[in-house]
Amino acid sequence: MAEEKSQASSSKMLTLKASDGVLFEVELNIAKEMKTVQAYIDDCEDIETIPIPNVLGKHLAIVIEYIKKTNEEYDAEFEKQWNMDDLQLLLLAANYLNISGLQECLCKAIAKRIENKSPEYVRKVFNIENDHSPEEEAKLRKEYKWAFEGVDKD
Amino acid sequence: MMDTKNTQPYLPHELIIQILLRLPVKSLLRFKCVCKLWFSLISDTHFANSHFQLTAATHTHRIMFVSYSDPLQTRFIDFEASLHQDTASVSLNLNFMPSESHSYIEIKGSCRGFIFLYSYSNIYLWNPSTGLHKQIPLSPIDSKLDAVYFCYLYGFGYDQSRDDYLVVLMSYDTTLANVSSHLEVFSLRDNKWKEIEGINLPYMNASDDPRTGSFFNGAIHWLAYGVDLSVNLIVAFDLMERKLLEMSLPDDFYYELSFCELWVFGDFLSLCVMGDDTVEIWVMKEYKVHSSWTKTLVLPTQYFSPLCLTKSGDIVGADGGNGLVKYDDKGQLLEHRSYCNVRGRSQAIMYTESLLSPPCFLSEPKKMTQTRRKRSTRRRMKL
Repeated sequence: MAEEKSQASSSKMLTLKASDGVLFEVELNIAKEMKTVQAYIDDCEDIETIPIPNVLGKHLAIVIEYIKKTNEEYDAEFEKQWNMDDLQLLLLAANYLNISGLQECLCKAIAKRIENKSPEYVRKVFNIENDHSPEEEAKLRKEYKWAFEGVDKD
Repeated sequence: MMDTKNTQPYLPHELIIQILLRLPVKSLLRFKCVCKLWFSLISDTHFANSHFQLTAATHTHRIMFVSYSDPLQTRFIDFEASLHQDTASVSLNLNFMPSESHSYIEIKGSCRGFIFLYSYSNIYLWNPSTGLHKQIPLSPIDSKLDAVYFCYLYGFGYDQSRDDYLVVLMSYDTTLANVSSHLEVFSLRDNKWKEIEGINLPYMNASDDPRTGSFFNGAIHWLAYGVDLSVNLIVAFDLMERKLLEMSLPDDFYYELSFCELWVFGDFLSLCVMGDDTVEIWVMKEYKVHSSWTKTLVLPTQYFSPLCLTKSGDIVGADGGNGLVKYDDKGQLLEHRSYCNVRGRSQAIMYTESLLSPPCFLSEPKKMTQTRRKRSTRRRMKL
């Protein structure tokens, strides 16, 4: 389970080019875990460099590392290293590249981090503007008063 | 679409929903405040259904504990935590009922986040987490309000095939020599009571007090007395088939049913029997297989009314006074907590936190194909 996938027999290499021009050489079987890349390969058989216009080199590196090392233990520790902004950018990357395992891992991690937080904190995290009127918000806070008990202080 | 350098990431709706689906009910209700979009995402009934199904393994359960003191005291306890941890309880109000009703409620069942309760002559289905409630009319027999009929079985459950919630009552005319029970069923979807005709119901109460049912494997189960064979037994009403069936108790079961209770012990239908010095827990290892009744656990106490299991397999129940007790899976006492100093009756039931709301009276009964539905509802969530 802890074996790195890159030790598989397939030796064909592929180059992925991140949005900031950083290049990554990866084995075919690693690249195939990204369903978006798989679709690209299926369409153009002889391709050697695949552009990944939506993902920064920094995040693509993390995604590739995840694919190589993913297992229960790794996943449990994986999200701890990243801040909220990076987690969201990684989620966008995983979504674009269509890697369901990573997407699941990141959604769970983000949910865990906001679970006991206030609405104000959540708005900041996701850059959301509060368009409830003060009356509407007061009404909700009253209606679900119990849900505001024991919440982490901001 | 996505700026690369220093601007904050902006997640599209479909990803927000994937994150929201992984939050507990308490967080989701709080986050209705975040903005109008989140309010409508979280209030959506498809979202509530998806959330309930997706989080099946991690549902938050609570015990609603009622102490019949004056005034009535209600607590909503997270029993995964220590019983002594007061912060694990939340305060919910009963304001969905008129204030005169707050002084007296009788809990009769719970299922999928709803509690079935009576307050004087009013019946309510109430989701404590969201506050959503529905008052349902008294059954034809119940509304006779004379002392002739004794309603001895109450049940509440979910019919998966019609996405419908059913309230079930069994009663009999105490003035008649030949006991024949009446089975009445209220369908939330049909919004009416119906008596199940044409079946023979030679049953009556197994003990003085009315019993509440145990919803298990799509059927509601009760302990009752079969008058034709003069034997105690289990009576079960299958909500999909709308049929009644019988199950026998363990061989050589000579305990008085006043001291026995049916409950759902994890994946099994179970009997909790209060003996002279100990409490025995019997489990039907194979559903409907009489020979599979097995005595599984003995608790070192005279009184125990089982309520639920914690995720780690500890057993939580009422102590017959005004408190809760927790035993481990070997029958060792872990904790005991009293909630009220005044001696008096108490009632408790386990319920699940859910965002579910009762089906609208006006919608068509939906045909559910569960496995397909899970996938397609998730896709439908992409806005």
